[in-house]
Amino acid sequence: MNRIVFISKKAVELFILFFLILTVLFFLFRLAPGDPVTRMVDPMLTPEDAAHIIEQMGLDKPLITQYVIYVKNFFTGNLGFSFHYGEPVVQVIMARLPCTLLLFTTSTLLAALAGVFLGKISAWKKGSRLDGVLSISALVCHTLFVPWFALMMLWILGFKVGWFPLGGIISPELWIEESSFLVKTLDVLHHMLLPLLTLFIIHVGSYLLLMRSSMLSVLKEDYILTARAKGLTDRVIRNRHAAKNAALPVVTSVGLSLAFSINGGALTEQIFTWPGIGRELIFAVSNNDYPLAQGCFLLIAAVVLSANLIVDLLYAWLDPRIHY
Amino acid sequence: MRGLILEFIIKYGYHVNMSHNFGFINRFSSSWKIFIQNPLGKAGLSILALFALMAFASFWVHLLGPMYDPMTGVDPAVSHSVGPNTSHWLGTDFIGRDIFCQLMEGAKIAFIVGLASAFISIVIGTVVGMVSGYAGGIVDMLLMRMADMVMVLPSLVILLIIAALFGQLNIWMIVFLIAILRWPAVARVIRSQTLSLKHRPFIEASRVAGASNMRIIFKHIMPNVLPLAFLYMTFRVTSAILVEASLSFLGFGDPGQISWGMMLQWVWSSGHMFQAPYWLLPPGICISLLTLSFYMVGRAMDEVLDPRLRKEGKE
Repeated sequence: MNRIVFISKKAVELFILFFLILTVLFFLFRLAPGDPVTRMVDPMLTPEDAAHIIEQMGLDKPLITQYVIYVKNFFTGNLGFSFHYGEPVVQVIMARLPCTLLLFTTSTLLAALAGVFLGKISAWKKGSRLDGVLSISALVCHTLFVPWFALMMLWILGFKVGWFPLGGIISPELWIEESSFLVKTLDVLHHMLLPLLTLFIIHVGSYLLLMRSSMLSVLKEDYILTARAKGLTDRVIRNRHAAKNAALPVVTSVGLSLAFSINGGALTEQIFTWPGIGRELIFAVSNNDYPLAQGCFLLIAAVVLSANLIVDLLYAWLDPRIHY
Repeated sequence: MRGLILEFIIKYGYHVNMSHNFGFINRFSSSWKIFIQNPLGKAGLSILALFALMAFASFWVHLLGPMYDPMTGVDPAVSHSVGPNTSHWLGTDFIGRDIFCQLMEGAKIAFIVGLASAFISIVIGTVVGMVSGYAGGIVDMLLMRMADMVMVLPSLVILLIIAALFGQLNIWMIVFLIAILRWPAVARVIRSQTLSLKHRPFIEASRVAGASNMRIIFKHIMPNVLPLAFLYMTFRVTSAILVEASLSFLGFGDPGQISWGMMLQWVWSSGHMFQAPYWLLPPGICISLLTLSFYMVGRAMDEVLDPRLRKEGKE
């Protein structure tokens, strides 16, 4: 019961936050210098079409009515038309979402798993040479400048050695011809490996450091001493007693560090021309495609918040002590 | 930034109360000794000193002549990007500007952005944290909910959307925006520190003596949380430098200032990234090294502030 209350509290909180973001964005779009109408209506449209969109978004009505229409439009999935694509924004961003989710979830999961594993070993062998090497490399990974590192990966592994394609998600020639499903899957994987590796290296360091310090504090707990006194083997103590408890803060951190992962993800997408939301946002901002920028932003916010909720669910499920 | 900040939240926020070890100024010399014995601290400080030197040197670059001006100086003998040579130690960019001079200018901007933005976010975070912890109740709840909310926002994405709406941001605007997006972690840590201080005898004593809440917060609590805030500042510096560099890299930086991120943007957008390693390598190495050194200094300071870590280190 407690868990259900805890989770629904979290869900309500995140929903309120999303609503706040939605509201702030509405007023930002109206406060910014320039005419809000030109911002939401493509200047290339014919007057009749423009009038239609103005009416649909209520841009000629008072601010409060506009706001109500804006919220209603949002929840019915009407985010306006992209200037560049001439399609509904929802259609554009929904086509990009799977690419982002694919890259993002795979890299986060792999980095978290590897980080937890390496951090466990590092803490267990504290003070050894292995620990030193792992900690220092984690620190370096952690402070790497993402775009530069991505460029280096692209330059060395993509251009010099030539193992990986220089960008994109597919090789078009394979898709025009009738290729088998397996060939297509392998093609996407081949394109995904380089951005995946980049994101993995960038994120694994922080998980390692976090797991290491969490594990070190758990190892001082009395129940570890008890476990030793019982004569359990090192392996059991390390994996069953210490690591399981030490991994809890790491789970929380996945949620809280999502904001940073999104930043890194957008930059990585941009450099590897991965057709995801982050790249679309950067494109929209550079080309003054305001409806598209707004849509991408809201979608990213929604993804971050729902991921936070998932992490909270996971946490409540993992930690039996939790009660709110 | 990222996980490490959380590591500190976990450590200071929930487990350790070490305020009685503080009293920064009178303990400064002994702290300094511990700090400088730490290999991380020594290495970090040395690299920082090197970059500080670079940043200071950038004030005298104009003495070399107009050709070496990082923004407008163009070598008449060079019309495209050339590799390192005797008159340009690190080569030139695509219109013949000296890369080494740009690097020095970039060091200056990185320090300004990092330190200014970290300072603002520390001030906000410390005040919010102290008030929240000391006041408790509804104030505490509201402030902490707000902190939680701001904490999950991706700063770069927010800066991008603001840049889209308001056009080119100038450097101080960027500094300020980074700061107001990055105070919550500080506030959380300072709050839990304040909570542990709140019921100490010396606070009770000053309340009995008739001190106002304001006086207690700023006169008695603040000196005890400042070292922790100072420690946090090193991590905020890192994060601010990285965000500014990323923004500049994407082409939304202050066009009137040369930053390392912008240098990378020029390499990339002018299509030189596969042809000019002498131009691609230095800015990236500088950003990564500078942020790493701030981090190392932070970690070494952490060991000074947390004696538990220190003893472990000597095992």
